[in-house]
Order: sequence, then C-alpha cells, then structure tokens
Amino acid sequence: MEWRRKFLKVQLQIYMSPKNNKIFHGFKFVKSSGGIEEYTLQKNGLTVLVLEDHSTPVATFMVTYHVGSRNEAIGYTGSTHLLEHLMFKGSRNFNKEKGTAIWTELQNIGAQINATTWNDRTNYFEVVPSEHLERAIAIEADRMRFAFLRDEDRQPEMTVVRNEYERGENSPFDVLDKNIWATAYQAHPYHHSTIGWRSDIENVSTERLQEFYHTYYWPNNATATIIGDFNKAEALALINNYFGEHNASKNDIPGMYTEEPEQEGPRRTVVKRAGQTGVVGVGHKTPEGLHEDTYAFQLLGKILSEGKTSRFYKTIVDRGLATSLLMYDFPLKDNGMFITYTFLTPDTDHQTVEDIVLEEYKKIINGGVTKEEIARAKAQTRASVAFSRDGSYAVASALNEAIAIGDWTFYTTFMDHIKKVSTKDIQRVAKKYLVEEKSTTGWFVPKTTKMG
Amino acid sequence: MFQKQQRWAEMGIFKKHVIINAEQEGLKTLVMPTGVKDVITFAGSFLGGSLFSPETNRKIAPITAAMMDKGTLAKDKYTISDILESVGAELNFSNTRHHVQFTGHCLKDDLEIVIQLLAEQLRTPAFPDEELTTLKTRMVGNLERSKEDTKQQAMISFLRSLYPQNHPNHRLTIDETINHVKSVKKHELKRFHEKYYGLGNLIFVAAGDVDPIKINETLGNQLNGWGEKKISFNFKGLKARLNKENETKIEIPEKTSMDMYLGQAVGIDRDHPDYYPLMMAIYILGGNFSARLMQTVRDQQGLTYGIGSSLAGVSFGSDGYWSTWGTFAPDLLDVGKNATMEQILNWYNTGVTQEELKAKKTTITGSYKVSMDSTGGLTAQILSNAEKGRNVEYLDQYPDTIRRLTLDQVNGVIKNYIDPNKLTFVAAGTFTDK
Repeated sequence: MEWRRKFLKVQLQIYMSPKNNKIFHGFKFVKSSGGIEEYTLQKNGLTVLVLEDHSTPVATFMVTYHVGSRNEAIGYTGSTHLLEHLMFKGSRNFNKEKGTAIWTELQNIGAQINATTWNDRTNYFEVVPSEHLERAIAIEADRMRFAFLRDEDRQPEMTVVRNEYERGENSPFDVLDKNIWATAYQAHPYHHSTIGWRSDIENVSTERLQEFYHTYYWPNNATATIIGDFNKAEALALINNYFGEHNASKNDIPGMYTEEPEQEGPRRTVVKRAGQTGVVGVGHKTPEGLHEDTYAFQLLGKILSEGKTSRFYKTIVDRGLATSLLMYDFPLKDNGMFITYTFLTPDTDHQTVEDIVLEEYKKIINGGVTKEEIARAKAQTRASVAFSRDGSYAVASALNEAIAIGDWTFYTTFMDHIKKVSTKDIQRVAKKYLVEEKSTTGWFVPKTTKMG
Repeated sequence: MFQKQQRWAEMGIFKKHVIINAEQEGLKTLVMPTGVKDVITFAGSFLGGSLFSPETNRKIAPITAAMMDKGTLAKDKYTISDILESVGAELNFSNTRHHVQFTGHCLKDDLEIVIQLLAEQLRTPAFPDEELTTLKTRMVGNLERSKEDTKQQAMISFLRSLYPQNHPNHRLTIDETINHVKSVKKHELKRFHEKYYGLGNLIFVAAGDVDPIKINETLGNQLNGWGEKKISFNFKGLKARLNKENETKIEIPEKTSMDMYLGQAVGIDRDHPDYYPLMMAIYILGGNFSARLMQTVRDQQGLTYGIGSSLAGVSFGSDGYWSTWGTFAPDLLDVGKNATMEQILNWYNTGVTQEELKAKKTTITGSYKVSMDSTGGLTAQILSNAEKGRNVEYLDQYPDTIRRLTLDQVNGVIKNYIDPNKLTFVAAGTFTDK
C-alpha cells in the first residue's frame, strides 16, 4: 500500500535538535501547556497538538475542523453533519475500488473510529493500537483534501442520516431540546440543531456539500491532535509527510458574523405528542465559552444538580417529583444555554417543578451559595479534570471541545480558573444571567395514551 | 510503564501486572497499577443479582442494590454523599442478572475514605421507609417512560418469545415490572440483604495510580468479620423455547423510527467449544461497521442508521441467543427487513470467506487492546473475567484463542446453530399498514 511505502522515506526526514526537543523539521513550536505542545506545520498552517503518554499501548489521532452547524444557514442546515458522513465514502487513496475503504482499513486493525459534528466543530478520530498510528494519519490527510463526495454516495447516505434524525425525533427530550434552542436563538445559527431540519437533510445538493467542503476543509482550518503511545519526533515526521502535501487555502476561511439580538422577555414553547410522562426544560442564555463567567457557571451547575447533596436533587428528585434531572451548560464558541431538564414522575404537574427551579434560582440570586457548596463543587471538578487524563481518547476528546470554542488551553488551564471562582462570582452571574427576561422555558406534554 | 510492543496482550501483561490477593477468606482482589496519574477506578461484585430474587418478585434484588446508597445505620444518605462529593469521588451500586455490582472512582489520596464508605454501605444499610417510597415512585416513572421506547419494547418482546418465564434470559413486561416494584416491602429487602450480601464470592478490582498493599490492607480492615455467604447457582438445566417462525408487532404511536429484532435461541453458553466460532461468524455478519449488515443495508442501500448482529445471553451457563437489531423509518420497515433477510440467507447459504475471517481476527484482537485505553476499560475487563471464574491469564490468552479459529469451524457452526426458517421477528413503533 502506498502509505506503507511512504513510511520508509519518512524515517529519513526526522530531524530533532539535540539541544531542544521542540525543534522538528517543517514545524514551528508555538506553546505548551499542561504537558501538551502546540506546533504549526509551516507549509500550510495546520495546528498540531501532541502529548506522549506510554501508559497503555494505544494512541489517539484526531483531526478537528473549525466548522460546525454554526456555519450553516437556511436551506443547508445539517450539511456539516451530512458532509461528515460522506467523508467515510472514500478518498483518493482510501476507497472501496482500491480495496482500502476507510472503515475496513481501520476496523480491521481493531481501531475505534468515528466522527462527530456539533455546533462549532467537526472531528474525525481513530483510537489505534500504537503501531498503527501511521495508518490513521495517512487516512485523515488523504480525506482532508481528496474526499470523493459523489452524488451517488449522497443519495443512500441521505436516508441514513434521515433515519438518524428520525431516531432523535423518537425521544421527547431531543424534541424538547431542539424546540428550546430554536425558541431562544432566533437569528444566530444555534437556532437549529446540528442534525438540521428534515427538509434540508432531504434536499441539499451534492454541489452545496462540495462547496462547503472546499470552503472549510483546509489544513489552516484544522487542528491535528496526537495523544498516547508514540514517539513525538516520528509522529511529527509522519504529519509533515502526509499533511505536508496540502497547501493552505487560497481564500480566507469565512467567519460567521450573525449575532443574536438581545432577548427582551421570557419565551415559552410547548411540544405535545403521544407519550407517557412530561419533561420541563428551563433555559437561560450564557456568555461565550471563553468568557470569564463560564467558570462560575460550571460550579453553579454542580451546586444545583450534581450528586445527592445538590439543591435540585433535594428539592425535586428526593421529593419524588422527578425520576431524574439533567443540567447542562456546554461552553460554546458563541453564547450558550444554562438548561435544567426535569423528567417528571407520572403524577407531577409541569408548573410545580418549573416553580421550584425558578425559586432555587431566586434563592441564589438573593442569598448566594455557601462556602461548603462551592468547596464541594470545586472538589468534584478537580476529580473530573484528573479523570479527563485517563486514557488517550479522554484527553483528545476534552481537547476537541476546547479547540472548538477557540483555545485549546481552556482544557489545560480550566482548573486554575475554577480555583479562583468565589461565592460572590456565582451570585453575580446568577443575578446577571438567570433572570426571567432572558429565560426560555419548554414543556413536553404527553398526549395520554395507554401502552402496556 | 509499558514499553511499546507489537503484541501487548500476548506478552502476559495481565499475569505480569495484575496483583492478586486471595488471602482473606471470601474476598479476591485484583489490582493493576498503570501509568495514569492520581486517579483510581475500581469495581467489584458478588452473587445477588436479579435472578436471585424470589420468583414472586423479581425486583427485590435490584431494589436492595439501589438502596445501598440511601443511608446506613450510622449515616444518612446526605452525610454519605457529602463525604464522597467533598472529594469528588463517585460510588455507584447496580444489579446485573447475576451480580450485585459497585463501581467508582476517586483520587488516589481519597481511596481509604471511599473504601470505608463502601464497606459501611454494603454491611449496614438502613433501608429507610421514606427513601424506599421515593425510589419506588421514581422507578415507576422511569418504567412508564420506557413504554414509549421502541427499542426497549421490541427487545422485551423478542426475549419473551424466545425464553420461558423461569429462564435467565426471559424478561418481564413493563407492566409486570411496575407491579413488582410497587409491591416490594422493606422486610423483603432486609431478608434478601441478610441472605446474599457478604463475603464468599466478593471480587474487588482496581486500576490506575494504586498501591496494591495499601488497598488490600484497607479492604481487609473494613471487611473483616463480615459474614461469609455460601451461594451457588446452576441455570444449565433451563432451556429456551423451541425455535419457530414468529412475528410480533408492537404499536407505539407517533414514532418516526422503528426498532426491529430478528433472531433465535442458539442453545449453547460461553463455555461451549462452539461459542467462539459462532461468535466470530455472527461478528462477520454484523459485529461492526465494516461487517456485512452495515456495509450493505446501511452503506450501500441507505435503509438504516444502525444495524448489527450479536450473540448474547450466554454467561453463567445460560443458553444464549443470536439477534439482529436495526432501526428503520416506518415506511421502510418491510424493505429493511427484506434486505436484512437477504444478507442473513446469503451468510447462511454460502458462509464467510477466509479474507473476512482474517480481517475480523485482527479487528477483535486489536479492539481488545484499544478497550484498555483507560482504567475504566481495564477494570471492566478484569472484573468480567474474574466473575466468570477465570484466571487472569485468560485475558492474555484471549487473542490467541481468536487467532486459532479456522474457516471450517466458523462456517460449520452457522449451519449447526442457525435456522433461517425459524426466526422470531419483532418490530415496535408506528406502523403504516394499519
């Protein structure tokens, strides 16, 4: 195979200064943080993050493209995701015709392989027995610029993606979550979910997807991450060899400039469908992920919902009003949402639980949180940060989300920021953001049906 | 700590690095220090899963396990949670068909505190009345919600068609389960705890930044004097129903995707000599994305987002089953089923190829290695192996067990154990042909 033959040449190109282990042929060292080093491939601007860790004989290779559903608009919502699917249909060197189909090449060596699309990024990853790292690098480099993206592949893949959409629509939670975001965000593309609207999935043209690919899939709009059991000099030489054949994009990568107008009053949405039990979602807009207030929100979320000592567990779950609850506040590139979902028990009415959620917010706005609560939330965060280093995929995955919001050191410096958050900070952000005018509330109301 | 090597598992890594202590009566610990910093993942189990519930109420065992984090004689649940959450540790209890299981993780400096709590929770649960009432209310709510889960409904119906009521692979209907939950009494839980919770067959596994000597000392101190339970079981005599062609449709309104199960009982368990050849044959049919079903029904024909095939229900002497699962839009169900059947018939009639067998051998041995990327993966592998009564060396030998399979073995078992004329078919969702 071509990639194997290339490897022999690569060995000769490894260059490392004996005095500085951060100088590698073709790369510029940018910075390091938390043991992770950033380099730029000088020929085309590809960002490369590396962390050697020989705990287990496994390596993770990931390419994160700085494009997600926030880069879509009416008529081609869901395109980033549909394109991600087509990226597995073959490229110049890896395709069925040559007997080197991507899934087969990687799964036959036992690799864990997949790709995901979200608001701000698209990532492709391979967790491989470390001796097979080169194969993952070769495949990702090839499809970065030489994916086929054929219409005869889009046709059957469209119905695959449509079934993914249909499966999501089966879930009351998924449906309510989509409705709350669509209600809260009216101008900004976070309005639509990453899977897109059904009619766009069905009708977007192959040409539109190709245009999307040729706009965003360039080395200067991507970050390659290598974590785990490998030799840094060898791995960078492989990156240089495979990704180095690409040029940077001729045109600037277009930015996304739509801003969400100020919300001037509370919003509500109700979804009525056949179902068994209700769901209540209460959401409030939050600042962009890299804003300093993000850290206070992360702790506030734990104080409200993580563990049996949390406020909502005591006031809602422990009283038998809900089977469970889910709170999320994912840091995003632009503004996000601080949302509490409550899954009601059969005899609980929606308003009761919504009132409790809002009452708890008011208590924090008026009285703040206790020192014990913030200490516990920080301890929980400290442990979860430590576990985000457990395994090469865990590190790559956490880095992927930090890359998406615009700064990978968000991951490595997260705990330092968390340590600085005070009880006053939490009360301040609650006062500023958890107000009625900025709220979007959604109910899933089951149309009662008897099912055994 | 490990040098880069081509054949990691085959180098006897588990035998070399897992430190086993079986000195304490009725407790076996398996500890694997790894290169990860500061964190420890642990898991453990003992017999007392849902199959050990009295036949009159199958939820006694699961609810007993679920009450382990609801308070002890000395501490209420908030005190326990506060201790754990103050150090960012997690400790969860659950119930499989055969075992009571606990899993958790913590930073290495907090391991002693967490093990102390674990022991106290297992040894002296309080079973508070109000906690039991709330737990039952929440469980019923979850069960009511699961009635609209197309996959869950299809799977329950599929297994009920294959297995009679007393079989380990049988499932209760959701309404039956709700009735069992509602009727559980506190004294039944206490009696169950008294009978099954104790030393005897307790396994404790830990991996990560862990000191085996310290962990064994702590466990020894905390579990010393806990009564030893003599528990055994034998489900080998229980058999599946005779396979026959069978079709069930479960209507769930206003669903945009349907779940389908298709398969039959195979009559062998994991210890049978034909288990690995049959597992491999089914893996080639539908074990991963590059297997036949995903490559055809999804990748070529675009009929589904997900379809797969597996051999399951084979542990601890149970005669297992082969199932193929897939999702389809309601108007594509028939087309999808037919496309699936075409692949199954082709697989049955012509068998698998040498190339497919070779490729899937490297898939399975490679993914076995990849699954050990984290302390969670290592812990799960070691515990699962130990629960089956196998030596840790079995984990090192597994890749060779797979490599030794021959084409004749694999193709032979397809004809011996599969009968495409006697398949059970279940679909759940919103049917278009009403």
